[in-house]
Amino acid sequence: MLTLDAMSKRFGPVEALAGCSFTVERGRMLGFLGPNGAGKTTAMRAIFGLVELDAGGVAWDGRHIGPTERLRFGYMPEERGLYPRMRVGDQLAYLGRLHGLDAGAARAAASAWLGRLGLADRTDGKVEELSHGNQQRAQLAAALVHGPELLVLDEPFAGLDPVAVVTLADVLRKEAQRGAAVLFSSHQLDLVEDICEEVAIIDHGRIVAKGDLEALRRASERRRIELQLDGAPPEWLPDVQGVELVERANGDVRLLVDRDVDPQNVLAAAERTASVVEFSYGPPSLAELFLELVEK
Amino acid sequence: MSGRRSIALVAGREIRERLRSKAFIASTVFILALVAGSALLGQVMDPQKTYRVAVTKPVPEGLATALRRAAQPFDDAQVRLRTVDSASAGRRLLEDGEVDALLLLATDRLVFRKSVDPKAAAVADSAVRAVRNELPPAPELTTATLHPPDDEPGDAAVLVAAAGSLLLFTSLAFYGQWVVNGVVEEKNSRVVEVILSAVRPRDLLAGKVIGIGSLGFGQLVLVAGLAAGLLVAGVFDAPAALGADMALVIPWFVLGFALYAVAYAVAGALASSQQNADTAAQPVTYALVAVYFAGYVVLAENADGPLASLLTVFPLTAPLVLPARSALAAVPLWQHALAVILVLGAIYALVRFAGRVYAHGLLHGGPGLGVRAAWRIAREH
Repeated sequence: MLTLDAMSKRFGPVEALAGCSFTVERGRMLGFLGPNGAGKTTAMRAIFGLVELDAGGVAWDGRHIGPTERLRFGYMPEERGLYPRMRVGDQLAYLGRLHGLDAGAARAAASAWLGRLGLADRTDGKVEELSHGNQQRAQLAAALVHGPELLVLDEPFAGLDPVAVVTLADVLRKEAQRGAAVLFSSHQLDLVEDICEEVAIIDHGRIVAKGDLEALRRASERRRIELQLDGAPPEWLPDVQGVELVERANGDVRLLVDRDVDPQNVLAAAERTASVVEFSYGPPSLAELFLELVEK
Repeated sequence: MSGRRSIALVAGREIRERLRSKAFIASTVFILALVAGSALLGQVMDPQKTYRVAVTKPVPEGLATALRRAAQPFDDAQVRLRTVDSASAGRRLLEDGEVDALLLLATDRLVFRKSVDPKAAAVADSAVRAVRNELPPAPELTTATLHPPDDEPGDAAVLVAAAGSLLLFTSLAFYGQWVVNGVVEEKNSRVVEVILSAVRPRDLLAGKVIGIGSLGFGQLVLVAGLAAGLLVAGVFDAPAALGADMALVIPWFVLGFALYAVAYAVAGALASSQQNADTAAQPVTYALVAVYFAGYVVLAENADGPLASLLTVFPLTAPLVLPARSALAAVPLWQHALAVILVLGAIYALVRFAGRVYAHGLLHGGPGLGVRAAWRIAREH
């Protein structure tokens, strides 16, 4: 289990981390969310000792993380980087060996990952000759080649085409099934909602929500209501206290309401002005939850 | 994983990747060809030697012919005979450099100005024997010089000193630049974050310096070894003992490289992300150039002076000055020892400093860190 414990870090006047704490268990995948500059990258770099914390710390299975523990981790940094003039296969094998694999195992793992990520025919090509998307895949392979127990990926989905997104999501899911603890940051909240059971949301260096995604949504003070109306006036809003309009288009109306608002009152108000084609009520989406939490 | 394994892996990668580059192979072949070519050129271009010999009257019949014959085996050397009235007239010619040797048949002596030319002596000796064929056993000529051979280093020693220090200077700067290029590439391509997530900064630094240093060492052993071998084998017209001075370049490359490469690595790490490798290397290269010229000037002035001794043991100058000076003058053993001790001490101190600054420099984006900031970091940790 990865434990981030009350991490604090200040860069001059900027407080990047202010007592950030959360855990990631083996076999689980945690989406690490937060607005730009909230401290995600700093927190992830701290796991690898690339940032010296002012206070707090990180632990793996309850032990302080040192150079030996880090060998069992895989890291995909925010700023991608591989040796531009080194061959892809050689590079992955080299990184595998740096993480403790012997030469034969490193070579085998490198070619296995290149095959799995569709780069088998690029093994002898140089990194600088790869397309942007393929460089991303090679970077992912670099984080995975040694079969890490903990996988830390900073914005792994950024800049990927939809096919690559599906492949990456599948890879991460399988890594978690294999028993790895997976921590990744992302701005694609709908994607995170699809593939993660757990999230941690950071804002201004503090964790504002963490835990099981479903439970977090249910614990929200608000609920979402979606209506499809036929024949409603364009400016229609239900005359009910504690209702907030999120979106309205072509008869579709999306609302956020306080948790104690009775949905029946909203439905009744709608039925008074138009015919209701569809009505749904439930906890807010991750995106709505995120906005609710970080806007405060 | 142990630091040693990481260092070995990093060094191995540096060596493998560079051996693969055509530039490295080409430069090695080129330098070797240059050394071998200069030896060959020396042989080919060596002008036909003419020995100018003065002899006192009366000249025995057949001496000129005998001298010519005796000189033939020595690469077809010629002998020009000049007859003088007296020994003192001959000495004057010798003193003025008009002749190379003075043959005094009355006393069976062959006199040179400062140093005995063994070839000329052999030619004269066998010619005199031939002329006096009917008087066996012919007395051998005794060689003598007008002046005691002085301590001025010979042309060959100056050449070895100059070539040795130039070779050291260029290899330190050349491979130092490689270190900077490597560090800046790692930093700019951001791969350093991935590497440092698995390798300690000081192990990365050590592996890089050792890897590139090994390549430089290999190339230098080939080049300096070939040159030293040619000196010992007598291909160059120079005393064989200078081969040892040439070979001294090799251990001093190791010490000098350890010192300067670490400085180069730190310069690379402290460079801003916009800076290219060339400008990043400048401070260290300027220091190296200054050291090279300071050594050159001081040694040319007086290779035995106190300033020369100081530069011999001062850590920054020792790697370039000591091998050159030992070709020019006798360097006392204690100065050799002191120089090694001081350089090792300086390497230790610099590695400690570099280890602290390196990681900060590598992970620090944006504008470059100044030396003062680097010093502060080193003190804080």
